[in-house]
Amino acid sequence: MGNLIVRRVTQMLLIMLTVSLLLFAIFDSDQFREKAAVAELGGFGVATLSADDYHEWLEKKGLNEPFLARYGRWLESVLHGDMGQSIEKDIAVSVLLKESLTNTGILAFFVFLIMIPVSLTLGVLAGMNTGSPLDRVISIVAVLTTSIPQIATAVLLTVILALGLGWVPTKSAMADGWSFRGLVLPLLTLLLYDIGYLVRMTRAAMTEVMASQYIRTAVLKGLPYRRVILRHALRNALIVPVTLIFLELNGLLSQVVVVEVFFQYAGFGRMLFDAANFGDLQVLQAATLVAVCVAVGSQLLSDAAYVFLNPRVRFT
Amino acid sequence: MNSRVVILLALIWFPLTAYVMFRSALGALANYLLLPAIPSVIVLYVLALRSWRESWVAIVGVSLVSFWLLMAVAAPYLPLVDPNKPLVPFLAPGGVRHGILFLLGSDMRGRDVLSRTVWGCQRVLVWGITATSVAYAVGAGCGLIAGYLGGWWDEFVSFASNVLLSFPVMVLFILVLNLLGQSGFNIIIAVTCSSAPVIMRIVRGLALDAKSRDYIQAAQTRGEHPLWIMLVELLPNVRGPIIVDASLRLGYTTVAITTLTFLGLGLQPPDPDWGLMIKEAATAALLWKYSYMMIVPALSVSSLILGFNLIADGLREMSLRD
Amino acid sequence: MNEHSLLPRLRDQLHSGRMDRREFIRFATLLGVAAGTAYAMAGMSAPAMASSTLPFPAAEPGAKRGGKLRVGEMVARMEDPATYNWNEMANQTRPILEYLTLVGPDNVVRPMLIESWKPSADLKTWTLQVRSGVMWHNGEELTAEHVAWNIRRWSDPALGSSNLGLSTFAALTEYTGDKDSKGRAVRRPLKNGVEVQDSRTVRLNLAKPVLSVAEDCGEFCTLVVHPSFKPPLSHNPIGTGPYTLVELRVGDRCILKRITKTTDGRDFHYWGGDVFLDEIHFHHYEQENQTAALASGSVDAIYELPVEQIELARSIPGAQILSVETAQTLCCRMQVDVKPFNDIRVRRAVVKAADNGAIKKLVFGEHGSVAANFHVAPIHPEYFPLPLQVRDVAGARQLLKEAGYENGIDLNIVVGNNDGPWQQAACEALRDQVKEAGINLAVTVVPATKFWEIWTKVPFGATSWAHRPLGTMALSQAYRTGASWNESHFSDPEFDKALSEAEATIDVPTRKARMQKVETILRDAAVVIQPMWRPVFILASARVHGYKAHPARQMQLTKVWMS
Repeated sequence: MGNLIVRRVTQMLLIMLTVSLLLFAIFDSDQFREKAAVAELGGFGVATLSADDYHEWLEKKGLNEPFLARYGRWLESVLHGDMGQSIEKDIAVSVLLKESLTNTGILAFFVFLIMIPVSLTLGVLAGMNTGSPLDRVISIVAVLTTSIPQIATAVLLTVILALGLGWVPTKSAMADGWSFRGLVLPLLTLLLYDIGYLVRMTRAAMTEVMASQYIRTAVLKGLPYRRVILRHALRNALIVPVTLIFLELNGLLSQVVVVEVFFQYAGFGRMLFDAANFGDLQVLQAATLVAVCVAVGSQLLSDAAYVFLNPRVRFT
Repeated sequence: MNSRVVILLALIWFPLTAYVMFRSALGALANYLLLPAIPSVIVLYVLALRSWRESWVAIVGVSLVSFWLLMAVAAPYLPLVDPNKPLVPFLAPGGVRHGILFLLGSDMRGRDVLSRTVWGCQRVLVWGITATSVAYAVGAGCGLIAGYLGGWWDEFVSFASNVLLSFPVMVLFILVLNLLGQSGFNIIIAVTCSSAPVIMRIVRGLALDAKSRDYIQAAQTRGEHPLWIMLVELLPNVRGPIIVDASLRLGYTTVAITTLTFLGLGLQPPDPDWGLMIKEAATAALLWKYSYMMIVPALSVSSLILGFNLIADGLREMSLRD
Repeated sequence: MNEHSLLPRLRDQLHSGRMDRREFIRFATLLGVAAGTAYAMAGMSAPAMASSTLPFPAAEPGAKRGGKLRVGEMVARMEDPATYNWNEMANQTRPILEYLTLVGPDNVVRPMLIESWKPSADLKTWTLQVRSGVMWHNGEELTAEHVAWNIRRWSDPALGSSNLGLSTFAALTEYTGDKDSKGRAVRRPLKNGVEVQDSRTVRLNLAKPVLSVAEDCGEFCTLVVHPSFKPPLSHNPIGTGPYTLVELRVGDRCILKRITKTTDGRDFHYWGGDVFLDEIHFHHYEQENQTAALASGSVDAIYELPVEQIELARSIPGAQILSVETAQTLCCRMQVDVKPFNDIRVRRAVVKAADNGAIKKLVFGEHGSVAANFHVAPIHPEYFPLPLQVRDVAGARQLLKEAGYENGIDLNIVVGNNDGPWQQAACEALRDQVKEAGINLAVTVVPATKFWEIWTKVPFGATSWAHRPLGTMALSQAYRTGASWNESHFSDPEFDKALSEAEATIDVPTRKARMQKVETILRDAAVVIQPMWRPVFILASARVHGYKAHPARQMQLTKVWMS
């Protein structure tokens, strides 16, 4: 297993290098520089700037150097811990990154806190009693919730909970300081989809295990049903869902973009979205690299968990 | 059985795609383009009902998808109001103004919701199916090359796909669309970038596995060209899992297109689109009494995605039972 | 104070009916008459002001002190007030820094940091009296030297400030005769343009006659800073206003607190009288989310209420929806040197096929007013009423036929929604209307940032032009030959001459007659379809008092109080 980790980490570093180079090359064009100028000085403003003043502005922002020089400088500063400055928000990228990751981390924490027990329980219950009314209900609800796009859920929840009943604020900008109530809407939007997804996967795994030879043999042999479930079936059925939970980290990073942008929550997804729209290169670089880290890291954790939990794979 | 299905699918997909993407260039021909597609949808539906009748889940799924397909191809021939014409803002469903019945009400700019929903279905289906098909073509192609030819081909393709797979999907979409600009064609590229690597891995695995099989070695002994072997011998044997995966992927792609349009990165206004309808309702119609502006497109897109998901579930169930 | 020599003539015209009362008030105040006096001369009661020399409304009885106002707007950076380009930047700065004059919501200019202004008869020499007793945050007193320093800064071409587009500051510069690398003429400040006569008096010696000096000093980029100013403002703001900056996080929040002590420990005394709020908080909300935020009580007031959200706003209990008429408009302009628009028949056909009144009604309902394609608004003082545009589909078809487009023509308009989705709604309505004349208009919507990259290059584009207090200002910036914002490449020497003549005329009937010529030339050239003058709406909760809508979206928060 140590081998696996080393190989993956090396690959991850290689990928990060490639990705950062690609990004730099892509966003280093004239088109993006003008886009950044327009975003800061305004359309009317850029039209009136003389050519000299425009180049001076570019110089001031450090946008005028040749590509490789800028990339080299950026690489060096990153290795020393300085990830540059956001031209849009005018603060250090590392500060912005830390705050937005913390915020998204808080959201992710609550999502996992609620999602894991709820979906595993429901999935196991459904899988144990395949074909029963309980299973039918759970399955139908699960497939329904995974078919509704999160944007629709977000708007509907806003209409009902925030404006209709007034229980929670409409947007999660946390203007009056942090409060859990502001987190409720994004949390529910994420949970509704994620719980459904995990329930389906858990149910499928549980069904497969319950139908397998050795469980049926154990039941026929007369072992008490509950002991059978708890000691044998669960252990094997939960392998796949646990690995999926690690992969959820990666999936969450995707879902969180939409949710944070709609609810104006100052998290990682919103930071990335704003940076991409504005052409804020340094922020975009840092954010993309973090995203790649999380993605590869979650895949690694998932694979490691699978190897660890699955005795057949572990000992071959 | 197979060739019938392929012909029917082609009769539906080509006219619909041409209609949506190139309507302005076609002129008067556009009015007749979709006529052959309508009976094709119905025949395809009947065929699906017959071959999948054991799984009621698949039946419900294919009914939903066929309903929307029918709406999409029949849209020009239905008695609908112009979907882009502002008439009466904020009219409740069932209202009648200027002698026109607004069955599902009108939106904040006065356009008929029912008409926009039916017309919006065309865009979602065409871009979604096209994007997924291109992703499959690219992914399967790369997978076959990597699995069958091996060596440096395999290394290169695998590394490229690992790079693409290291991005969370939405991050990849945002980067690609911001770079290339927002349009339907760029969505195809973005979806390909995110889906093709996974497909490539699946096909590569299957190709590696099949390479050692007898019938492949027999073909090699016969002296068949590698490309022929790949397409004619290998591909048909992996049909089953691919259809299930395709159906699921169509669902994901539909969600992605709708979400991207909602964020302003996807298909552009003014033509009707479900993601756009939800977005406009999310700013102007947050009251319960106007929520129909949001609920109608949300229900529509959810039912379409549900259809894809149910087809996938039903087929999987059927294959497990065999 | 001596009366201006032109004042009797103005009064004459008022009494003989050749000028209406609103125009009189505006012109009289521009010439230096105190607003209250001007209203009185016109026989109207002035809006209640605290006193005739303060630009603020009188305090309402029962105004409570203390409290915190939360405003929902997009929080912008605060670098250099002279180069501000977003309204939001100025809104955040207005409680800290102040102007020489203040343009109120009624479009009348009042004295702020200068007490009075007096032009010479030829309008080339202006004498400004600086207000006494104004304290800076660092304890110093405001002097004429400070004011002169600021004015010199605004008229310095090297700064890159958009203030140079205003007639006053442009008239404080001269051309050197050289050209820069883009081929544009280089300017430098006039040698003796700004003179300090004593500690309270500043004299401006302008290169050309300018009527709007007082107004130009109230434009949103002319905030007065202390001469020790170095950008960025957010690091060390020293101003004359009653608040100071406590925290600024771009895209997140901006917190202002009322000042009680100066930086050297003395009590701070605000020249403008009572100030009620203890703190003003700006919280970042995207434009489309602001109304929703107010609906759930996260903020007390917002920057702007888009017209599509009025229904939502009406459902909020107790919320005040305030509106004001503006000179802000949508210019669907055609480039006159590009096919097919270089044929005037095609342009006239498009203009004829449109129905300006219907577009306005569709987009703004009963609010706003219909425009007639010559970019001068009824609220402008020199407005000459020309007949409204009349739709004529048959005529449009005929013109197209003559131009050789008998089977119709395909056009494409690009809109960037730089001011909101109402622009797109207007273009779509236009599309449906011109369809009946055989014109297939495709509406291409691009993101706002992309629009600014191409707005001067597309042949047919829809740009939103902001409110300007005088009608000649927009014409000068948009339709004069070679003007930097001339997106339609319109060039007519007769128009330029007529416009210059109008700009130099103080006498109102003559001015209007000259404007008639200017407006007619522009309208007949069919350069732009300009359907309406839009209204501006703002939204505030029931607890906010004294918050008014301003045509240029300038938030004046100094006298707001919360119950």
